[in-house]
Amino acid sequence: MSSGSNGARRIASVLRPSIANPGVCRSCQEKTLGRRSYAAAATNTAEISSSPSSTTAFPVIKPSYTINAGVLLSRPPQITRDLTPFEKAYFFYQKRLNERLALPFTKYFYFKRGTPADEDWKRKIRERQTAARDIGKYNAYADDAWNDELLVGAAESEPDHQVEMLVQDAEATVNATSQDTSKKEEIPRPFSRMTEADQQGDMKSLNRALQRTLYLFVQSKDGYWKLPSSPIEKEETLRLAVERTLAQSAGVNMNTWLVGFHPVGHHVYNFKKPRLDEANGIEHRGEKTFYIKGRIMTGQADLTVNTQGLKDFKWLAKEEIPKFVGLTYYSNIKNMLADR
Amino acid sequence: MAASESSRYLARSLPRAFVPSVRPQGFCVRRNASDQASSRSPAVDLGELESTGALLPGASESEAVKSFDPAALAKGRKKQLPRSRYQFRSPKYDRGPLHPHRPPPPSDPSSRLYVPGPFSLPRVDQTYQSSVASDILTLCYVHNPPGFKPPQKSARLRTWDDSSPYHKNRPLRGPRGGDVLRLLRKPITFNNIPKIERITIHSYVKQAAQENSGWLHVAGMAVQAISNSRVETFKSKTSVATWGIVPGRDTVSVKAELRGENMLHFFGKMVDIVMPRIKDWDGVKGSSGDSSGNITFGLEPENVALFPEIEVNYDMYPPKMIPGCHITIHTTAKTDKDARLLLSAMGIPFYGKMVN
Repeated sequence: MSSGSNGARRIASVLRPSIANPGVCRSCQEKTLGRRSYAAAATNTAEISSSPSSTTAFPVIKPSYTINAGVLLSRPPQITRDLTPFEKAYFFYQKRLNERLALPFTKYFYFKRGTPADEDWKRKIRERQTAARDIGKYNAYADDAWNDELLVGAAESEPDHQVEMLVQDAEATVNATSQDTSKKEEIPRPFSRMTEADQQGDMKSLNRALQRTLYLFVQSKDGYWKLPSSPIEKEETLRLAVERTLAQSAGVNMNTWLVGFHPVGHHVYNFKKPRLDEANGIEHRGEKTFYIKGRIMTGQADLTVNTQGLKDFKWLAKEEIPKFVGLTYYSNIKNMLADR
Repeated sequence: MAASESSRYLARSLPRAFVPSVRPQGFCVRRNASDQASSRSPAVDLGELESTGALLPGASESEAVKSFDPAALAKGRKKQLPRSRYQFRSPKYDRGPLHPHRPPPPSDPSSRLYVPGPFSLPRVDQTYQSSVASDILTLCYVHNPPGFKPPQKSARLRTWDDSSPYHKNRPLRGPRGGDVLRLLRKPITFNNIPKIERITIHSYVKQAAQENSGWLHVAGMAVQAISNSRVETFKSKTSVATWGIVPGRDTVSVKAELRGENMLHFFGKMVDIVMPRIKDWDGVKGSSGDSSGNITFGLEPENVALFPEIEVNYDMYPPKMIPGCHITIHTTAKTDKDARLLLSAMGIPFYGKMVN
């Protein structure tokens, strides 16, 4: 092969738009995709072997980084999210439209004539004018059925109001159909969507921010907050290192599940000045941390027996994280975090 | 050969390099609509917007808002409005684009085809979006180094080897070992994460042919109650001599097809209310599925009766006539393995040997 043709190919490869794979960066393309003749490869190896580090089979990459294994331990949302005002209004409007368009409720199928349930039904339909219990007082078959939109400030579209109406309806049914008229039956209301931990601002509790995904953050002995991580030891896979990190940092009192074997993100930390290792002359640049995703099922973090000198931990939702961590760190990890 | 090829590249790409570009090359400032919006000072634009929306709790309580009462306004009107102001009936048929009166699109509430909804944000969907989808994406990730090229696979349909003149213009042959073309499974990325597409509830009631149609009516009502959608009835296609069923004569089954909100609410009820209460139930058999991502399982009549809609009103159903049913969950997964991964993440237990 003549050198002239090789040079022409080089120039062409630089000039033409990347035909190989536009998703691959140029250095990788040159490494793996560039068509190299055997002769060129042979001369390259010869150069490497002639260099001072000829005793090692593999060339050592000069600037070295510490490789860390980190874990992004999260608690998924426990309840549905709050609806936006627009969603509330929209869903309510659709329910009333449906009431106008759907077939009427088939009462004869559900209530036998003369039963207490039937009497109760008649009383309620007189009050409510519709079978549905969550659309307020609205008769879809009356002359003013066109007036189906709520006025400003009406409470009917609020989920809390609808739940209250449902519970009151159930209570009325129970009290009307029960034999014992002396005592009033109470039907338990659903639990509050805000917990005690929310009100107290307890960031260590897993019972807080039930609508959000929470992430475990720990405070290192230097006082800065980070996701739990530690250097990978020799002959250890990333997954094993993450399991060890979790046990060493947050204790074994957690039932966790690590999602897969691949990292979901990474963070590179460069020292201000590279540290030179005198023993082998390697420049030490900083740290690279690879994060594996984990889910906590039960249990709680416990730092009493941790071997990494951690001081504190917190369960944080996504929008609380920037208050505790640095800007670069957050911008590196934020794409791993779920929106909700 | 190689030299000529590279010179061809060179010949092609050189003129392109020397063509004067329309844009100035020196500084590459690409402007998008998004950064155009953000680069402008926010104070200038936001002044035009209302600070409070009508839907927010602290909405403006002006005099006009307080005194607005459309019902009283309509009652107080002396003369009736012209009919065109309050009454519009969509024409029944679409007579083409040149006709002066055309029906509105089906999304318009005044259309005859309008179906209201959605009425809620289903919990199952929120769980899927917030945790299941991203976990599946992580679990299904396969790392390929940059520049990796997957090995070439042979064509799915085989060509004829042209050993005979009769091979000319023949259609391609099917795959070896059977003529079924399986679905192609592409690597799972952010835009093809498996999700539930639709659910079919199907109930075959043999007594509808043997005894009376009441069985079919009850089965239809029960399936409608648990699914919140209309059922279709079907006649038997096959003859079953022992049950006395003749194809084309006996109406023997009901089917409901659920999509969207109905499907998600049904799935949620089934997984969280019915399945935990089924006695001595191991789960869905691991060998279930049609090897293209759709999983089917059955529910016995006593399990169907556990659905809350039937349970609250249990006395109204003749207890013997409550049907069992087959439930097929159609997913967008291309293999049963992926479908099972999705469904087990959503809460359906599987047992036994997993067959793909």
